[in-house]
Amino acid sequence: MKCRKCKAPAEVPLPSHNTAFCRDCFAAYFTGQVEKAIRRHGLIKPGERVLVALSGGKDSLSLMLELSRLGYDVTGLHVDLGIPVSSAAARNKVEAFCRLHGLKLRVIELEKEGLPIPDVKRYINRPVCSACGKIKRHWFNRIALEEDFQVLATGHNLDDEVARLFANTLRWDAGYLSDQGPCLQAENGFARKVKPLCRLTEFETGCYAFLNGIEIHTAPCPYSGGASFTGHKRLWADLEHMSPGQKIAFYDGFLKRGRPAFARQEQEKGDPLAPCEVCKSPTSTGICGVCRLKIAVTERRAADPERQAK
Amino acid sequence: MITVFVEPDNETFTFEKHNTVLMLQKRLGLRVNDALIIRGDRLLTPDDRLEDGDEIRIRKVTSTG
Repeated sequence: MKCRKCKAPAEVPLPSHNTAFCRDCFAAYFTGQVEKAIRRHGLIKPGERVLVALSGGKDSLSLMLELSRLGYDVTGLHVDLGIPVSSAAARNKVEAFCRLHGLKLRVIELEKEGLPIPDVKRYINRPVCSACGKIKRHWFNRIALEEDFQVLATGHNLDDEVARLFANTLRWDAGYLSDQGPCLQAENGFARKVKPLCRLTEFETGCYAFLNGIEIHTAPCPYSGGASFTGHKRLWADLEHMSPGQKIAFYDGFLKRGRPAFARQEQEKGDPLAPCEVCKSPTSTGICGVCRLKIAVTERRAADPERQAK
Repeated sequence: MITVFVEPDNETFTFEKHNTVLMLQKRLGLRVNDALIIRGDRLLTPDDRLEDGDEIRIRKVTSTG
C-alpha cells in the first residue's frame, strides 16, 4: 500500500476515506482534522486556557500532545480514582507523559478527597461506573472554574460520539439529542466542554499515539466489566466495514440537520441551578450529587465494623 | 513461525505461516481498523507480507472502559 499523498510505503490504512498514509502524511492529516473540528465548531479561541482531562489512555494523551503542538495553553488534569494497582498504573503513565513533553499537570486524588472509588463501590448501591463518571465530571468542571480555565477538553473520538448518538437515538432522548456535539457552551456554573478529536476514530488516535511514541495505559478498569457503549461500537464497526464513511456521515448529518431540529423542539427547562451548599458546584438539589455521595460514603464507612476493626 | 502478542488481552499465539497481514487479521477475526498491527517500530497495512520469525504486536483500539 502506498501513501496517497507522497507514494511512500503506507503505515495507516483508512478505508473510510478510501486512502492510506505514511507516518508523516498521517500526522498532517490528523492535525488537519483537529484544526477543522476546532475551526468549524468554535471549540477554542486564541489565548484561552485549556484544561485537558487525562485518563492515561490513547485518546486523552494524543489530544494533549496535539493541542500543545498547535500552540494552545494546555494543562492536564488527572483524577486518581484510588483503585488498587489500576489507578497507580494509569497515573504513572500520565505523569511520565507530562514530564517527557514538559506539560503542566494537576492531579486530584479521590482518596484524599474522602471518596475513593473502591469505597463508592462498597457503600453506594448504584452502578459504580455511573457514580465514577459523575465524580470525574464534577472535578473536571470544578477545577476548570476554580482555576480560571475557559475550556475543558476531553478525548472523546468519533467512535465515542457515534455510539453515544446511536444510544440517544434508540431512546429518542430529545434532551440529549438537543445538545450532543463537539461543543457544550459554558452556562449556569459549567465550563465550556469541547471534543477536538470528534472527527477522528479510535483507530486513528491509536495510530497517532503509537507513531508519536506515547506510552498509554491499556488495562481496562477492573470495575467496568466493559464500557457501556462497547456493543454499539461493534455494531457500528460492522456498518463501517460494509459501507466505509458511514460513521462520519451519520455524525456530521446529525450536527447539521438533526440537532438543530431537536434544539428547537426541546423547550423543556430543568430545575433552576444554584451553587452547592458544600462545594459551590452547580446543582438543583441544594447539596450536589457528589457531595451527597461523599456524605453517604463517610457515614457508611464509619459504621462499617470491618473498617472499625482496622 | 510467526509470534503474535495481542493487547490488551495479553495473549500470545504462534502460527506456522501467514502470507500477509490481511490473512492474520482474518484468522483473528479482526477488520482493518479494529487494531494496530505492529512490527518493530512500524505499523503494517493489510497487504504487508509476514516473514518467518516475525514478532507481531496487535493492539486492539476499542476502549473497554
